[in-house]
Amino acid sequence: MRQPLKVVVVGGGTAGWMAAAAIASVLRPETREIHVIESSEIGIVGVGEATLPHLRFFNKRIGIDERELMAKTQATFKLGIEFRDWARPGDSYIHPFGAYGSRIAGVPFHNYWLRALAQGQAAPLEEYSLPIVAARMNRFALPSEDPTAVMSTFGYAFQFDASLYAAYLRGFAESRGVRRTDGKIVDIRLRGTDGFVESVQLADGSLVSGDLFIDCSGFRGLLIEQALKTGYDEWTRWLPCDRAAAVPCENAGPLTPYTRATAREAGWQWRIPLQHRTGNGYVYSSSFISDDEAGSKLLSRLDGKALADPRFLRFTAGRRRKTWNRNVVAVGLAGGFLEPLESTSIYLIQIAITTLLDYLTDAPLTQAGAFDPRTVDAFNRWIEMEYDRVRDFLILHYHATERHDEPLWDYCRTMEVPDTLKHKMELFRHRARVVTYKDGLFLEPSWLAVYFGQRVMPTAWDPLADGLDISDVSARLQAVHERVQSAVARMPAHEEFLEKYCPAETPAVTRNVLT
Amino acid sequence: MNSAVRNVAIVGGGPVAWIAAAALKRAFRHRELEVVVVDCGNSHDAPVGRWTLPSQRGMHALIGIKEVDFLRRTGATFKLATEHHGWHGAGSRFMHPHGDIGWKLGATPFYKYLLIQQLGGHDENPEDYSLAAIAARLGRFARPMGEDNELTSSFTYAFHLDEAAYTAYLQEHAMALGVRRVPGSLADVALSPIGNVTAVNLVGGEQIGGDLFLDCSGSDAVLMGRVSRGARDDWSATLPCDRMWSVRAGAVDNPPAMTLTTATTAGWLWRSPLADSTMVGHVFSSAHMSEDEAFAQLQQTASDLAGKSLLNRFMSGRRRLFWERNCVALGTAAVELEPLAGADLHLAQLGIGTLIELFPIAAESSIEASEYNRVMGEQADAVRDFTLAHYRVGSVPVGEFWSALRSTPLPQRLAEKFELYCANARIGLLDFEPFEEVDWAWLLLGAEVLPDAVELQVRTQLEAVTPEQLAPVRTHLERLAASMPRHIDYVRGQGPQKSHAAKS
Repeated sequence: MRQPLKVVVVGGGTAGWMAAAAIASVLRPETREIHVIESSEIGIVGVGEATLPHLRFFNKRIGIDERELMAKTQATFKLGIEFRDWARPGDSYIHPFGAYGSRIAGVPFHNYWLRALAQGQAAPLEEYSLPIVAARMNRFALPSEDPTAVMSTFGYAFQFDASLYAAYLRGFAESRGVRRTDGKIVDIRLRGTDGFVESVQLADGSLVSGDLFIDCSGFRGLLIEQALKTGYDEWTRWLPCDRAAAVPCENAGPLTPYTRATAREAGWQWRIPLQHRTGNGYVYSSSFISDDEAGSKLLSRLDGKALADPRFLRFTAGRRRKTWNRNVVAVGLAGGFLEPLESTSIYLIQIAITTLLDYLTDAPLTQAGAFDPRTVDAFNRWIEMEYDRVRDFLILHYHATERHDEPLWDYCRTMEVPDTLKHKMELFRHRARVVTYKDGLFLEPSWLAVYFGQRVMPTAWDPLADGLDISDVSARLQAVHERVQSAVARMPAHEEFLEKYCPAETPAVTRNVLT
Repeated sequence: MNSAVRNVAIVGGGPVAWIAAAALKRAFRHRELEVVVVDCGNSHDAPVGRWTLPSQRGMHALIGIKEVDFLRRTGATFKLATEHHGWHGAGSRFMHPHGDIGWKLGATPFYKYLLIQQLGGHDENPEDYSLAAIAARLGRFARPMGEDNELTSSFTYAFHLDEAAYTAYLQEHAMALGVRRVPGSLADVALSPIGNVTAVNLVGGEQIGGDLFLDCSGSDAVLMGRVSRGARDDWSATLPCDRMWSVRAGAVDNPPAMTLTTATTAGWLWRSPLADSTMVGHVFSSAHMSEDEAFAQLQQTASDLAGKSLLNRFMSGRRRLFWERNCVALGTAAVELEPLAGADLHLAQLGIGTLIELFPIAAESSIEASEYNRVMGEQADAVRDFTLAHYRVGSVPVGEFWSALRSTPLPQRLAEKFELYCANARIGLLDFEPFEEVDWAWLLLGAEVLPDAVELQVRTQLEAVTPEQLAPVRTHLERLAASMPRHIDYVRGQGPQKSHAAKS
């Protein structure tokens, strides 16, 4: 066996501790040495309090106990995201973690629904989705393992306190031998021969060297950008929001098993209910609203009493040209930024880490071995694909709107979107067909939720769906509807379930944490 | 206003035309779709012997063909594998079975274990962990059985076909479904002012109208050629074979359920067993071997060649757009490729399936065509890559043909696939690829191409697994295969017969 791989993680926070915890857990102790450098002076951004169901696979892979994690992070369950006012003020739809009905004779369910709708024989589409119906009624239960049960038609994610999550992962990682140093990096030393990062120097003069550096230093990209000048592809022309104001508030009303994203005059506002408080934020474009105004709008639109002053963040939508450059892999905001509209921040961290773990080889730790450009290029292509697919999906939310007389929305409604998205939308409008792909985020139900939820209505459906008698279609729809309603009727209230499953151990001190 | 498609006219007389006709007729029986095949006879653009991929079974199920009946009436046999001889130098051989290598070790495919063993200098053979490979080698056959995760279900199968018998069978089946057949050959086509086909005119004056037209006429693409000039992606620089001889030979006693190929100095010979005869052929590059010489080499492989031989000329490549206006090219009218991967019918069927899924809402719409071309373009390139990969991995036979082949640049997507594998043993698949990870593993392991390194996680996970631990599995598979019926007995005994595969 070769020498242990020395991994230096630059920056704590969600990305840094997810990376450290995963590497520590997946690679055997004798094969790696992991060192996290974080500065208590700098503090963390604490990206993303709302997650996607994929995080459960991550937890499973690295051996995290879900109930313990939830209890320690004030977590609640998440069945989807409610979008309010996106196509028109007053609209509401939920993007669910689950399907609408199931295929009939190989044809996606929504085609039959469209057909029945045209005959006046269909309920609203969301009533055929178990996670939506449950979310609307604030109910929750774990999905069933039996694939024939309607209770198996959904997944779930978590809403949690990001700083508690980072703290939890830190404990997890440290108990598996990860070293942590509190220190500020003042210099980065590159190797003369190949420009690889050799070591980082801390304020106290000490040097930390490594084979592989994981840059989790946030937007500024201490290693990937400041030292290696990797470059950044900006997507502001499609995703113009570049600021966020965030503030926690007291809980009011029942704990919703979903996140809410409400369209606002110059962006959108998030609402993420946790056991002890609610996270809120206003993501906006600085071209269309000032920080002060955004902050005060946010404060005026909270459910409960604000627990702090708003904190402000700046960002630029886009992706680092190479996520992996030489011996540096950028994870989290150092790798790219896509606004948290679809809770993809933690997903993108997760995918960078797990893909890295998949691609790490047992080759010698040389440039030609562990940092083989063939591996690095393939890794970068993969991450690019992930970002690009999320990007198109986010753009759809801004573009498919009828909002007008607001400069941001007028711009987005009329902008040129990427050809890939244009094609997807045309095909859907023309015949209700969703363009699908093998890898990457957002499957058919996600696209359906946003298309239908934002009034992208198809003018026709798959002709194969005409193969059944309308009475038969009607009966099948009715059966799904009944199964969903009766299953949800048997589910406990979200709060009740939480109380039994993962009550937070102590009423956590309220923190001013950004999402 | 746009009008719905009511009539489909298909030009061509081979299996692709009839499969397309039957599949469309069945899929759209609710709207009483009229399907007519303008049968221009066998254009002889295709091999007289064919071998398929396992997807043929799915297509049969879809159009309502009963397997037992089909086998009895067409003289087809089963196919568990292809065995390739001489591709990596004299005396070399490897198999590409239709099935798994071993089983999943946790979440890790079994072939990674083999790679680790081989990298460590141990001689572990993937064929020892494949029931399909062992059965094929022993001349045995039984259908897969048992639950999904059992070794007895770790494989699937395809068919060897007699083209003429299969075509006749498909034609009868399609006509029973209500497909109309009009024999004749194409004189010209009538176009609307915007360039859509409105009708095909046959020699003799008959006119066949339609809303949608399929060109299954073979490499001449007699219909498509009149609709557009049709830009083409030429693959002949990397795939120089451009001729194929095929001819019938006598039956062998209990042929194994596999296709054989043998590398020659300018291409490869093939042998595809049928119930009562054997089809043989030679695919070669005319730049490197004369037609006569190629035929002479074919003659040496069998003493009992019978009947007319057929020479088929082609040039590897594809139409850039398979669907233009209201006309869709399928089969060799769309993609011309040597049958090394046995995927010609598979690709045509993917086209038919995609066409059914994207069946135009209105005859005039073009958005479906653009999606169809995107998806099928990827699929066609993937089949090309897999075919080409046979020539580009491992060591190579001696000769100008083989060395010239290796000097041409690889398509980017295939180069990336090889690079990733060589760097870290990963096999990466794009969105639309008809061949799976295990197919690539068979090919790469068969060529003895070892990666420079394997994934650290996989190394850690599989380090402790030894060939000794797995010995009982190898023995079990041997016994299981040996207990299956002889292939030819299984073919002859087709009927509702109980499988002889032993219970584990």
